[in-house]
Amino acid sequence: MVLAGRTEAFEPLVSPYRRPLLGLAWRLTRNAEDAREVAQEALLRAFRSLAGYDASRSFRNWLFQIAANEARDRYRKRAREAAAFDGLFERSPSATTGPAAPGPETERDRQEIRSDILRSLAVLSPREREVLVLRDLEDLDVAETARALGCSAIAVRVHLSKARRKLAEVLRRDHPHLEERR
Amino acid sequence: MTCRKVHELMPLFAGDDLGPRRTRAVRSHVDACPACRRELEELREALARIKAAAKEEAVPDWSESAWKALMVRATGETPGSRKAGRSAGARVAWPGWAAASAAGVLIGFVILSVLFRGSVPGPVRTASPAAAHEQDVVSMTMVSPETGLQIVWFLDKNFDYKGEQE
Repeated sequence: MVLAGRTEAFEPLVSPYRRPLLGLAWRLTRNAEDAREVAQEALLRAFRSLAGYDASRSFRNWLFQIAANEARDRYRKRAREAAAFDGLFERSPSATTGPAAPGPETERDRQEIRSDILRSLAVLSPREREVLVLRDLEDLDVAETARALGCSAIAVRVHLSKARRKLAEVLRRDHPHLEERR
Repeated sequence: MTCRKVHELMPLFAGDDLGPRRTRAVRSHVDACPACRRELEELREALARIKAAAKEEAVPDWSESAWKALMVRATGETPGSRKAGRSAGARVAWPGWAAASAAGVLIGFVILSVLFRGSVPGPVRTASPAAAHEQDVVSMTMVSPETGLQIVWFLDKNFDYKGEQE
């Protein structure tokens, strides 16, 4: 319908993915402004390249692929400009401190702990972070993750293995006493 | 399978990302090896924590006005009107040599149409004398929906394509 010129059909098409797309961008960039720009650019690109969308693919995964590419482009640009992408994590006081002290937990404590856990993603390389976010947080399978990132399934498995191991090490070091409710 | 080999495969096994044969082999080893079983539990715990944290995290959202403005901006373009870079499913962009060739052909047509204007013998015309006052050259513009590249063809008043002038 959108390709037939009925552009008003685009919003209903992408509305179900509004929050998930922004969530993905947020987890990849860990910066609210960057996340919004990444998600925004992904939607603009999606509209422009709608004619090339393969309907046999999941639309969500296709949209996520565009967003992952945009996030990576943005990161590379920032890295070239020596921006404080990783510095954003370093500014966070809990990202580099030692293990959290045990004790009674309020809901606010639990929120901070969840944020700390997610900030642990900072120890990963950009590619490891992308792979882990797509595979483990967005539940894309290995093949879809590879397709989203433009790499092989083997490469995804290599990065995934490293990412999971690093994450486990950081969480064991920084939050050894926690037991998350499953 | 040795502990060393299982250790290498453990992160993928923890996330159910191994093939069936390796999964069976690792599971068989883990069932019999307490140290490897402990490592597996740690990895699964870490994954569970990160997933739970992500699930419960408050993700910032657009305001309604910002979302509406974004939709207006996105749909203000023609769908499929521009190359989308490395976006999935984007058609292959015109390579540089194709664009250069198209530009060269265009320049050639323009030059030939100017040089041979009025000198090519055409078919017998039965048009009225008023036709002599009609424009001698007609242009046709084609625009690539993907790249926006414009190609202009010039044709004579009989719409004869200058094939013979190539």
